[in-house]
Amino acid sequence: MRVALMHLLLRFAFISVSSLAFTGAQAQELLSPNTEVAVAVDHYIAEKLQSRSIEPRPVADDATVLRRTMLDLAGRVPTAKEYQWYFEQPETVRRDMLVDRLMQSSDFDFHLRNSLDELLLANRPNDGEFREYLLWAVRQKRPWDQMFRDMLTARQADGAEKGAVQFVSSRVRDLDDLTNDTAMLFFGVNVSCAKCHDHPLVEAWKQDHFYGMQAFFKRTFITRKNVISEKPFGEVKFKTTEGEEKSATLMFLNGSVAEDKTPKFADDERKQLEQQIQKLERDENAGYVISASFSPRRELAELAIRDDKERFLAKNIVNRTWLRLMGLGLVDPPDQMHEANPASHPELLDWLTRDFVASGYDLRRLIRGIALSQAYARSSEWPADETPPAASTYAFATTKALTPRQLAASLMVVIRSPDNWPSPEDSVAWNKLRNDLENQAGGWTREFEQPGENFQIAVDEALFFSNNDRITKDLLRDGGDRIVGKLKSIEDNSQAVDQLWVTVLNRKPSDEEIQTATDWIERENIDRVESLRSLTWALLASPELRFNH
Amino acid sequence: MASNISGLGPQKNGLSRRRFLSAAAAGVTAGSVADMTAIHGLRSEALASELKKQNKRVILLWLAGGASQFETWDPKPGAKTGGPFRAIPTNVTGIHISELLPELAKRMQHTAIIRSLNTKIADHGTGAALMECGRVGDPGVKYPDIGAVVARELGRLESKVPDYVSLYTSTEGRRKGTSGFLGARYSPMFLSESMTPPNIVRPDIISEIDHHDRAALRDVLAKRFTTARRNQAVDSHMSAYQRVHGLMASADLFDIEREPESVRNRYGSSQFAQQCLIARRLVEADVPFVKVARAWWDSHGQNFETHQELCADLDHSMSVLLDDLSERGLLEHTLVITLGEFGRTPGINASLGRDHFASAWSCSLSGAGIRGGVAYGKTDDEGQRVVEGEASAGDLFATILAALGIDHQHEYMLGSRPIPLADFGTNPIRDVLA
Repeated sequence: MRVALMHLLLRFAFISVSSLAFTGAQAQELLSPNTEVAVAVDHYIAEKLQSRSIEPRPVADDATVLRRTMLDLAGRVPTAKEYQWYFEQPETVRRDMLVDRLMQSSDFDFHLRNSLDELLLANRPNDGEFREYLLWAVRQKRPWDQMFRDMLTARQADGAEKGAVQFVSSRVRDLDDLTNDTAMLFFGVNVSCAKCHDHPLVEAWKQDHFYGMQAFFKRTFITRKNVISEKPFGEVKFKTTEGEEKSATLMFLNGSVAEDKTPKFADDERKQLEQQIQKLERDENAGYVISASFSPRRELAELAIRDDKERFLAKNIVNRTWLRLMGLGLVDPPDQMHEANPASHPELLDWLTRDFVASGYDLRRLIRGIALSQAYARSSEWPADETPPAASTYAFATTKALTPRQLAASLMVVIRSPDNWPSPEDSVAWNKLRNDLENQAGGWTREFEQPGENFQIAVDEALFFSNNDRITKDLLRDGGDRIVGKLKSIEDNSQAVDQLWVTVLNRKPSDEEIQTATDWIERENIDRVESLRSLTWALLASPELRFNH
Repeated sequence: MASNISGLGPQKNGLSRRRFLSAAAAGVTAGSVADMTAIHGLRSEALASELKKQNKRVILLWLAGGASQFETWDPKPGAKTGGPFRAIPTNVTGIHISELLPELAKRMQHTAIIRSLNTKIADHGTGAALMECGRVGDPGVKYPDIGAVVARELGRLESKVPDYVSLYTSTEGRRKGTSGFLGARYSPMFLSESMTPPNIVRPDIISEIDHHDRAALRDVLAKRFTTARRNQAVDSHMSAYQRVHGLMASADLFDIEREPESVRNRYGSSQFAQQCLIARRLVEADVPFVKVARAWWDSHGQNFETHQELCADLDHSMSVLLDDLSERGLLEHTLVITLGEFGRTPGINASLGRDHFASAWSCSLSGAGIRGGVAYGKTDDEGQRVVEGEASAGDLFATILAALGIDHQHEYMLGSRPIPLADFGTNPIRDVLA
């Protein structure tokens, strides 16, 4: 371990020095709290672009902004009718109208739920109750600090919050996972480096921080009947790099310590309780519960919510929400929020965090603000013969791979005949269909991989699109309810191409594309329907559908 | 793009199939060979290509559930922990192995046995992850397994064959394998339901030529999008589609009916042996890493009957595989690893079983880069502990890499964090290397 530590220290020496340039620049006074979120975003982004003399890309065309906003706020691409609706609205206000309409739709609730689920439970096994809880909370507009408290302290017996317990219960069998996932996902801090030695990068992080975090979870256990409980006692002991044996205190990442109110137990009382706990862990019919008067997990929730200096809880979700919408976190990677890895725009992160806390941890206000900024709406293209500036300048929009749910829901939208979707103004009809769409999409998600760091599309996916029967025989059917069926009924080939592009790619085809596509349809000796089918396939398998751009 | 395009006359609008295909070909060359992973290390490109030229490959015979070292590579006849089976001499003087492996005993010149593994972790999931990745995971870092590392280091980016194939047809202990932070480009092609990979065969309702043309059309239409948006994920989408037809053409590699009857007879009818034959076909076609799993060695009860049955299959299948590789001149390029997640206890329990044991157990390495006819390391008389040449999972990982000519200390950069291929502080076991 000594070798490893030396190695890391050497490696990181130069990083720490060069980062002084950033941390050295003291934050100026922040913009007024009364500034609109979108205005503050654009102010700080523009400031940095100007200071580096970078000319950002202009705002993307309307069709692109519509598609991007729909994917990020509704979790799917627009229907052809929504596309039409958008262009019927007055040009200057259509973006605002779209965002406000989406935020009141069931699409928004489903998508925010799915995004939080992907963040918090990822591929861990769960019985669906966690997703139900998240949907309930999102529909309630439940503030993030309360959701966090639910997830850390919920018990199975509670009401609508009970599904929240799965954050803990899906990790309870591995104390390191429970500790580190909580730190990474709620506080933006990966403390695992501080397990075997003090953190090589961050002077402030000691082994005490890692084991301090662990101490909050040490007493958590699961009974044979899958009930999450806390033991009335139990502490974390660890060996420091100097070989000293230490007991961890209940210490949060900002250094605050919770008072340990564990009652004193006599030796035989303790022994008896330990036996009862063991029985609970092994025996389904133990028939009793253990209740602890002092709950370290509850203490952690309160310490984190009260943290008004570092604001780990707020800052992390602000950064992760920014990452989800902008494709790159202000702090990147998002689990390395520490002094040696400063934000690309520290004042913006501070401003957004302050606003988020002042708004009562309101995720909607944050999402709306980012989605209405100019920075969000920039073109994702950069001339092929020029080297683009770093993505962290936000001079152009990042091209983001769709999540499995976004991709599945979008496929379900585009392969239907556009006539089969209700008008966007008929929210009753739409909400009903949206439920079905969510379920249908759920049946496809495991075919695709969740994007993460260094994400790559697997060849399995290309093989799936190329050869799987579900694509060929289901999505590309030529029945009247399908897009191929609809195209079949349009006699004029360029009109059919127009319809196909608007439905699948959510934009008008270029002249060159119309030419290529009509040439394709008009090839000699090839059945028109087969050509329409293969043309549709070429768009379903296109990168343009696969990415949010 | 090797479709049959002859016999098609000019068409009325002048747009022949050929034009689509050549336009597509022009569109896809740009950028298709760009390195897609952001995980660059300090490796010299010249050295890397030199390595790849040597065409090293790996077949991992995975003994899922954990085989007993006593009944395979490290017999202790006469000891109270030794069990009922004898040790037999091999064709290498001084090396004895269990009588349950008589055929392998005749072929020890290819094989190095390591008898001194102390890997400490004795539960299936964590133990398997440890042996596959050569280290205990850190929360927050997804490590690639040996197959993904070999695919990344020895595979060719533009390869038409898969570079990591995993055959695992039983349900016990089934593990898909993971490419971790190396990304999906190096994920295994996983065969669990049948002997043919999923979605590799063209659907019957579309002709071969239409399948190719459709792909060419896709490439043409995709060009506008990809040219102005160059990033790793977009590039990987492009290269994934470019690999489709190559991989489809490799479907035949999974079809052992294409082997002469004499070869099929030699391998015989056990599923494991047939999968070994597939593995040979794959490495022959330059697939760098193939894993074949044989389950289920977890003999908590009736250890000796279990091993009689499973060792017979292993002895036969591995022997035929070594012979076949050797006769084809492939063995000098192919490393055959025989390994499970751990070994089994010296103590024999009341059900005549052996339980999980990771403190003193064995594995073997044969072929490429290996000094054959070696038994490395030593356990005590009862097989309770390692007394000589103790090796960790990381040391074994480093040894495997070294046998393939890969620098085990080479580092991937995960963000700003350096991650060496084999864990910090691990060393190849030089005595088993050629």
